[in-house]
Parts: sequence; C-alpha cells; structure tokens
Amino acid sequence: MLRGLYTAAAGMIAQQRRHDTVTNNISNLNTPGYKQVTAVGRSFPEMLLHLTGIEGEKPKRIGRVNTGVFAEESLSVHIQGDPYLTGLRSDFAIMSDLQVPGVQFDSSGKAIDEDGNVIYQPQAFFTVQNPDGEIRYTRNGSFMLNSEGYLVTNDGSFVLGTDNNPIQFPQGIGIEQLTLTGDLRFVDSNGADTGAQLLITVIDNPNRLVQEGYGKFRLNDEDADLARPAVDGDRFEVRQGYLERSNVDAAQAMVDLISALRAYESNQKVIQFYDQSLNKAVNEVGKV
Amino acid sequence: MNSSMINALMSMSAMQRKLDLIADNIANMNTVGFKRKTASFEDLLTTIKQQDGRFAQEGRKTPLGFTIGWGVRMTQAQLDLSQGSIQRTDNPYDLAIQGYALFEVITDDQGTRAYTRSGAFRAQLNEDGDVVVTTPEGHPVVVRDEGGAEEPLIVPAGYALQVDAMGRVSALSADGSDLQELGRLKLVEPVRPDALQAVSDNLFVVLAGVDVDAVIRDVQPDMGNSVRIIQGAHEQSNVKLETEMTELLMAQRAYQLSARALSSADTMMSLANQLRA
Repeated sequence: MLRGLYTAAAGMIAQQRRHDTVTNNISNLNTPGYKQVTAVGRSFPEMLLHLTGIEGEKPKRIGRVNTGVFAEESLSVHIQGDPYLTGLRSDFAIMSDLQVPGVQFDSSGKAIDEDGNVIYQPQAFFTVQNPDGEIRYTRNGSFMLNSEGYLVTNDGSFVLGTDNNPIQFPQGIGIEQLTLTGDLRFVDSNGADTGAQLLITVIDNPNRLVQEGYGKFRLNDEDADLARPAVDGDRFEVRQGYLERSNVDAAQAMVDLISALRAYESNQKVIQFYDQSLNKAVNEVGKV
Repeated sequence: MNSSMINALMSMSAMQRKLDLIADNIANMNTVGFKRKTASFEDLLTTIKQQDGRFAQEGRKTPLGFTIGWGVRMTQAQLDLSQGSIQRTDNPYDLAIQGYALFEVITDDQGTRAYTRSGAFRAQLNEDGDVVVTTPEGHPVVVRDEGGAEEPLIVPAGYALQVDAMGRVSALSADGSDLQELGRLKLVEPVRPDALQAVSDNLFVVLAGVDVDAVIRDVQPDMGNSVRIIQGAHEQSNVKLETEMTELLMAQRAYQLSARALSSADTMMSLANQLRA
C-alpha cells in the first residue's frame, strides 16, 4: 500500500488541530488574562528502510522516513499582556517580571544556561479556590464582592488571601472603599487595615500549568512543588482599576489561521494525487 | 463537526452580546443619572485529550494531554457607578448626587423600595393639594424625619422645596416668612453593587432572596464623607462616547476575525468533502 496516503491524512488531522487552537486564540482576543496557546506538532516515530531481496546483492539502506505528524502538545505562551485602565475598583492586573539570580530572560521568557539547559521565567498568578475546594491559578483579575462579602471571580470562585482562606469583608464594606496597597493589603477609605491580604502564587515553570478554561490553570500533583507564595523582592506588582489584556496577537493569529488552512489543503491535494496513482494502478496497468 | 466551527460560533455570539451592551450604553448617553454597564470576557471550559505515557517524549514542555478550548463567553454585566457630570437646570425639583450614593423611592402601595441615581423629579399634586415629589414615573422619594420615620417627600401647598448640600429638606412659604423642616433625604450607598439589578425606568432593585442590609447601607452627607446634594441640577449619564466607540471597534473586529475563522473552517470541511472528487 502507498505509505504516503496515511502520512497526508495524519497531516490533515494535525492541521485541523492547529486551526482549532488558533480559532480559540481568536475567540479570546478580548479575554482578560488569557494566554495564547500554540499547538506544537511532532512527527511519527522514525523508520529505517532497507531494500532487500535482490539476488546477489546485499540489502541496501534507503534511508529514514517519518510516516506522519500529530499535534502533540498545546503550549501556553505566558508572556505579559498589556494592562488597560477600566476604572473599576474590583479589577486587578498583575504586572510581573520575575527574575532568577544570574539568568537573563529573553522576551519570550526563556533563557539557556552555559550547559544548554532551558530555564523558563517564573510567572505570578492570583490564587483562587474553585467550588470543589481545589486551588487554581488565574491572571484574570476581574473580581467582584458577592452579597456575603467574599471576593470572587466571574464564575464565583473564591479569591484567596495570604492565610490561604477566601478573602471576606465584613458587612458594610464595599469595594468602592477598598484600596489595594503596594504590599497587597486591602485598606478601607480611612486607611485602616481590613486584615485581608491578596495571595499571589509564583509558578517556577509556567509551562507545567494545565489550562482548564474559565481563565484558570491548575498544576498536576507531581508538579505541586513548582508553586510558592510570592515573597518580598519578587519583581511584580498588582494594579487596582486595571485588567491585563489577552496576549493574543491578532495579526499572528490570522497568519497562523491561513497557514493551517493552506497546509491542510496541500495535504488534501497529496491524497488526491495518491488516489490518482492508485486509479492508474488499478484500472490501467494490464489493460489490453 | 469540527471544533473550530463551534468555537467561532460561541465567540461570535459573545461578541454580539457585548455589542448589545454597548448599544444600550450609547442609547442612554443622554439619560439623566444613567450608569453605564461593562462586561468582560472569560474563556470557556477546556477539554483535554488524554495521552498515555508514550507521549512523554524528550523535549516535551507540558504535562501529558492536548487541550482544546471551546470559545469565549461574556461575563455578568457590572455596573460602573462612577460620577457623571453635573448640569445646572435651575428646576427646584431636579436633585443631583455628588459622590457615591443613590436616592430611595417607593414603587408600590406595599412600600417596596427601589433605588435610583436619577434626580429628575416631578411635583405631583395629591388629593389635599400638597405636592408629592416623585420620579417621572410617579414613584415618591423617601425622606427620613427627626425621629427616623421614613415617609414620602410631601411639600405643603403653597410652599417651595428647598434642599441643602447635606440633604436636609425644608419647605419655604411663598412670602418667605415660614420655614418648615421636612427631614433629610434618605440616601443609600451600594456596598455590593453586583447584587443590585437594573430594572426599567433607571431604577435599581435588590435581587430577591438577597439580604438588603448586605447590599446597601444608609449614608448621610456629612463632613466625614464626600456625598453632597445639589438642588437645581441634573447628573448626566457617565457614558463616554470615546470609550464606547473604542469598545465597539474592538468587539466588531473580534467578531470579524471569528467570522474569518468560521469561513476558514468551512473551507476545510469542503476540502475534506472533495477528497475523492
């Protein structure tokens, strides 16, 4: 059977995945705190081909071949999104540029040390607790106070404070009176401390985060040691009245969309050519 | 069905809802006391295609599994209660609030309360010939007297309404010889504005089943806060056309991009159909 037929079919499926991923990026062009996702492909395992069975000749080596491709991983790009002013006191944006001693990160948040090891820039996240009581991380700081006084996200998850409990304000204190200080404490309009302090979690290798939807990321159990509470000296700040814009690049997304579509089309053409070859082999070879 | 199509569809309907919200804001640009609503977006649940251990190849950066997102939704609309600009009208029944507070009005005979920022009140005569101060729809404004009792604001016949910056209401007789104290305007501060629901006629109500005291609290203009009442003035809406137009453009372009993604997904399906032409 023609090996390339399946290779081209695999190519079509992989481009479809790429297209789906880019579409989701486009959908979330205006989602605060959204991080662009890139679909990374990988070729099928390599095979070594030998020519055998010719009388009087040793088997001849033809070469290596990969018989397909698949979308292997969806990689979130954790670079900083632009902050924009909303003026709502319940909106918060994290601006982070966390450093690792002795490492200089490039603009994509990556550095390679002398031994060739890749180090990724740590990122800061709001810590929230979903309705099931599990810890999640988010960059979407569009919060509100619910009627019980809890600081919650858009889908009702609790925002956690440094005491690892949901932040709750007593009755009579509204978000209009609350100001977030530089050390992440909430003070009321008289400058008195309310006792609530925002918990920011630093994730050492943000690539290990799994995107869960609703703006939230989670860490798998085996990666739990990558998270630590932010400490003094970490280079980040939280701004009240701002949201972090999605870091999706619309122009890049459009180009990716077209390129995925055309690559899909090319693979489709290859299948058609194989089909024509098969047609010839079946119907025309041996015709008298 | 390919997920690009569902994704683009969700995104387009979310953008459409955002456009509706912006249209509402723009339509009410000249409504007295109108407060604009804002909404942001949130990505939808992500599904993970599980992969087994053989996928953990060298060079892989992420945990096992390939995630697929399903689009975006618009989040609950939030009220932007920021101050609108004050415009003088010199009508004694026009009251404007400066600062963070709402008027309280009575909407039916059972004494149900609603809250409004619009101070464009009217004078309505009751059967005794006295003037009841109401909203344009006829809901009386609440005042609180010395003893703390809450009642509709009624100005005796032949008297003129006077309201000072601290919300103290009095009635002055036509010849200026008699001044009657009528109490103070009842003002409330929304502590949990997200539990307030905007209903028609520029009114807000506390959602059913929610503790009223948790959502609002009494506030009186005094030296300790910046709430003031201005008589003879309107508060304009806080809608800024530039902001709304910018948001409109962004929503429209995002809609266009999603429509492109949809037509591109359509082309892909057509290509798959033509595999065996």
